[in-house]
Amino acid sequence: MLIMIAIACVLLYLAIVKKFEPLLLLPIAFGMLIANLPLGGVMHKEYFTAEGINFAEMIAHGGLIDWLYLGVKLGIYPPLIFLGVGAMTDFGPLIANPKSILLGAAAQLGIFIAFIGAMLLGGFFPEQFAQFDINGAASIGIIGGADGPTAIYLTKTLKPELLSMIAIAAYSYMALIPIIQPPIMKLLTTKKERVIVMEQLRPVSKTEKIIFPIVVTLIVALIIPDAVPLVGMLMLGNLMKESGVVSRISNTAQNELMNIITIFLGISVGATADAKTFLTPATLGIVVLGLCAFCLSTAGGVLFGKIMCKLSGGKINPLIGSAGVSAVPMAARVSQVVGQKENLANFLLMHAMGPNVAGVIGSAVAAGVFLSMLAN
Amino acid sequence: MSSEQLMEMLIICVQGIMTVFAVLIILWIAIIIMHKCATLGQGKEKKQEKPAAAPAPAVAPKAAPTAVEEDDDELIAVLTAAVAASLNTSTYNLRIKSFRRIGQNAPAWNAVSRKEQLENQL
Repeated sequence: MLIMIAIACVLLYLAIVKKFEPLLLLPIAFGMLIANLPLGGVMHKEYFTAEGINFAEMIAHGGLIDWLYLGVKLGIYPPLIFLGVGAMTDFGPLIANPKSILLGAAAQLGIFIAFIGAMLLGGFFPEQFAQFDINGAASIGIIGGADGPTAIYLTKTLKPELLSMIAIAAYSYMALIPIIQPPIMKLLTTKKERVIVMEQLRPVSKTEKIIFPIVVTLIVALIIPDAVPLVGMLMLGNLMKESGVVSRISNTAQNELMNIITIFLGISVGATADAKTFLTPATLGIVVLGLCAFCLSTAGGVLFGKIMCKLSGGKINPLIGSAGVSAVPMAARVSQVVGQKENLANFLLMHAMGPNVAGVIGSAVAAGVFLSMLAN
Repeated sequence: MSSEQLMEMLIICVQGIMTVFAVLIILWIAIIIMHKCATLGQGKEKKQEKPAAAPAPAVAPKAAPTAVEEDDDELIAVLTAAVAASLNTSTYNLRIKSFRRIGQNAPAWNAVSRKEQLENQL
């Protein structure tokens, strides 16, 4: 318990002093702190069993955090966060350069490779050390998508025991993007490729921006119905923003609603981290495999970027491939910064936003695939 | 790990990767079709709009006259806003009649400073 409090304090330090994704890491760390106080008992995990939720006990003895956790358990918070993300996202760069959608798909490779890795790891180590079943492996793999809400949405269904570890790993790595990605990007590209200046994007009409979310929702709903709660809400948020007729709702989704859900999500996810589940070798496995998933996703995006660069006759800068991991807009900023280090007059940000927003759709689809195959 | 599990894992993986690519490729095609449809409609609109350009009082023409292309709408909006802000007036009182691009002739130190300012915003 003391160790857990110490870990919570370290995470608080990282959030406050180092500013690692403070918006989520801070409530998560604080939730962790209050859940592990010696006489606390603010979180009753025993109410949330694999068989179902014990509502009778919750009404009789449950507290605030138990009720807030319902939003995670029932899969309410992640889609609502996606609603806010959609209302803040501009899909314009993706519509202007639809080729970049492929980079968003390639950057999901890490998810599946880490999934295999997590399964194989069980074969090499004794059972008590980092043994993940197929559901656990999928939950670890999704860290490679660099998408916190998607990771939480998938894990709460497939492997709720790992929820806190996976959420913390996902958000920590998202915060570390500016440190993790540049070495991989530099390693996989040549100087000549990094200095490529891309053509300016065409202007995108309002009509296209309005039709886009509707078309995406229809296509995703037809192919992967399990991804609809995430993608559907993302697109609803975007439609509200682009249509321009509901600016009040769109503003609420972007600001107040998003902030409220972030607080609820952070604190209740943090509160699930108790010593019994957190201080196990499995956590170490998740941290290592999560990092691998992340690196492989970046590498997948950059390598695919190189292929597209070759095919397009040197018109595409492979650095934008790394932005295919969906952390918006951090991954795109990294592409911009790395590109500008080589060529001062090179502005890759808008080009990188294309794969970046495609990555959000890609990782939600990947989560939908796992859900459709493993949830039952 | 049994071979059965291994097979299941590989099937999930291959199917997963293929689905992600398939969905996004379909979206790619959908975007292209959408763009085609949108430009078809726009092409007609533009032809109709051309004769309807009305003159208005000019306040701040930037430099020697050059032909204003239709694609420059956004740039003109930015120019209007910038001039309005510096003159402390409303954009309704202004009309940009023409503008001319000038080459990069700022001293190197200014350019570096501007770049740093931009980077700090990122």
